[in-house]
Amino acid sequence: MKRIYINEEYCLGCRLCEIYCQVKHSKSKKMIKAFKKELSDVLPRVLVEEIGYNSFAIQCRHCADAPCVDACISGAMVKNENTGVVTCDEEKCVGCWSCIMVCPYGVIKRDLSSRKIASKCDLCEDEDIPVCVKNCPNEALKFGEIKDGGLTGSKKDVWSK
Amino acid sequence: MSGANKYDMETTQYLIIGNSASGLAAAGAIRSEDKKGRITILTEEEQVNYSKPLITYYLAGKVDLEKTGFKDRDFYTSNNISLLTGTRVISIDVEGSHVVTGGGKKIKFGKLLIASGGKPVIPKIKMTGFSHKKRQGCSLMDSSNYSSIKGVFTLTTLEDAMKVRDYIEKNEIGSATILGGGLIGLKSAEAFLELGIKINIVELADRILAATFDSRASSIIENAIEARGSSIHKDNTIDEIFIRSGRISGYRLRDGIEKNCRLLIIAVGVNPDLSFIDKGLIRAGRGIKVDGRMQTSAPNIYASGDVIEGPDILLGQNRNIAIWPLAVGQGNVAGSNMAGREAHYQGGYFMNSVEILGIPSISMGMTNVDVDDGSSVEVKTEFRPERNQYKKIVIRDNRVIGIIMIGNIERAGIYSGLIKNRIDLSGMKENIFREDFGIIHLPSDYKKHLVVGEGIEV
Repeated sequence: MKRIYINEEYCLGCRLCEIYCQVKHSKSKKMIKAFKKELSDVLPRVLVEEIGYNSFAIQCRHCADAPCVDACISGAMVKNENTGVVTCDEEKCVGCWSCIMVCPYGVIKRDLSSRKIASKCDLCEDEDIPVCVKNCPNEALKFGEIKDGGLTGSKKDVWSK
Repeated sequence: MSGANKYDMETTQYLIIGNSASGLAAAGAIRSEDKKGRITILTEEEQVNYSKPLITYYLAGKVDLEKTGFKDRDFYTSNNISLLTGTRVISIDVEGSHVVTGGGKKIKFGKLLIASGGKPVIPKIKMTGFSHKKRQGCSLMDSSNYSSIKGVFTLTTLEDAMKVRDYIEKNEIGSATILGGGLIGLKSAEAFLELGIKINIVELADRILAATFDSRASSIIENAIEARGSSIHKDNTIDEIFIRSGRISGYRLRDGIEKNCRLLIIAVGVNPDLSFIDKGLIRAGRGIKVDGRMQTSAPNIYASGDVIEGPDILLGQNRNIAIWPLAVGQGNVAGSNMAGREAHYQGGYFMNSVEILGIPSISMGMTNVDVDDGSSVEVKTEFRPERNQYKKIVIRDNRVIGIIMIGNIERAGIYSGLIKNRIDLSGMKENIFREDFGIIHLPSDYKKHLVVGEGIEV
């Protein structure tokens, strides 16, 4: 199962991943429209952390034993049995923030734009490659699968060892 | 009832008492290991499936009745689980490996899980003017008679919430009193305030949410509640309740104040439901005692969730911590072991997330530690009253043991990870209080573990 892997050495701190994530999860899906009208309402689901020149982008790790799924009181946060992807059903979420309380990565946010619901990375399930990975100019984010201790994916997606 | 003999005794491979967080987590874990073994779940309640923490959201009208379930509708059928509702267990025959239900039915099991949860504590309170014919002469309210007093409720089951909602609508309730400012009390308060109902909270301790709040944290929420015309009575309790025609009409507090009251919620606490347990056969203190595999002292009998005493990793001793995430985690461990896959429970600590009047709060671990007790405890706080924001971090031996975040709860789980994984913050303690605190400020090994992932070289 493919996941997003992080290479902090390569991250430039440009935050394009955050921007493309916001656009992807906006209503219009169009960058200029989204930024002019929707920006304040759309949270990026990937987060860039930085100190000086050190930086990395992090989003939901889709944990094997996901604490957010265990903590969810409404059944909104579920791990897909086949794909392993953890998603939050916005219809079911009641905004109790139990997931925020237990996520050790701190990558779930409060989305207060309409109803109060938890917002997190959905791994862009309708895309071949998540937009944060696709638009990372320095390949600091990779989408692939761990096999034999290394990361495999399409050629472009593999870091040379 | 015809006497069932041993030949027609129902038999199941896995029997689970309790149909909530822990019982259903266990059922799921069993099914992922054992695709065929028969699973039977017993619940004394009539509902097929609902989430206990959602009942106050239902009460507030934020969640419809049909959406109070936390498992898919087809959970039982797709996992081939038999569910018997309205079935209360009255005893367990440990030697004979069967349980006896209130209807006289015997069910034989291969493995048994006790995940029966808790029952609300009903304090004994003096009553005056109680003229209900059946209870004439009774002068104390207690667990046997409180439910016959109109306007007095507990709030731990969906049925409770339905009754309270119905009562509010029929009686046009504009204010309610909540006895107990703990977790259930505050979640009830959250619901009533959403409904525009004024509340009076009566709390025995010197602050609300005493388990994980300090007095400042409490005061922020208190001020917000009081600004809406509601009130909080701390260091106080109800000494006497007044009854008119079988209905609560008011009460007198310990400090002498008398108040009118038409709706009283009793939320002083919940005790493990051990009424059907023979403590000589299944060891129990306040809750059932279990080992790291969630097995009780009796063979083939496991226990998990709010009914047990589990390890508190911060206190270093076992205690009853009745919270949802731990109940689910313990259920997963119990179910795995019951189905033959070894799993171990790592222990937990108290944690809570509650939002009152738009002020979110997350608090966990030990937040009221005496700094002068000689141990190496450090406390850092930041208080911004104008924003209703407060943050407190308690560190012992260079490790986070407690946290309070009010107003801003962003990334609270990172602290949860630090507590759970007992991360040594030597030399980096200043970092964890930064406004932009994140994973990047953590010790490099732990940071690498989080960012790169376990066992991955890239």
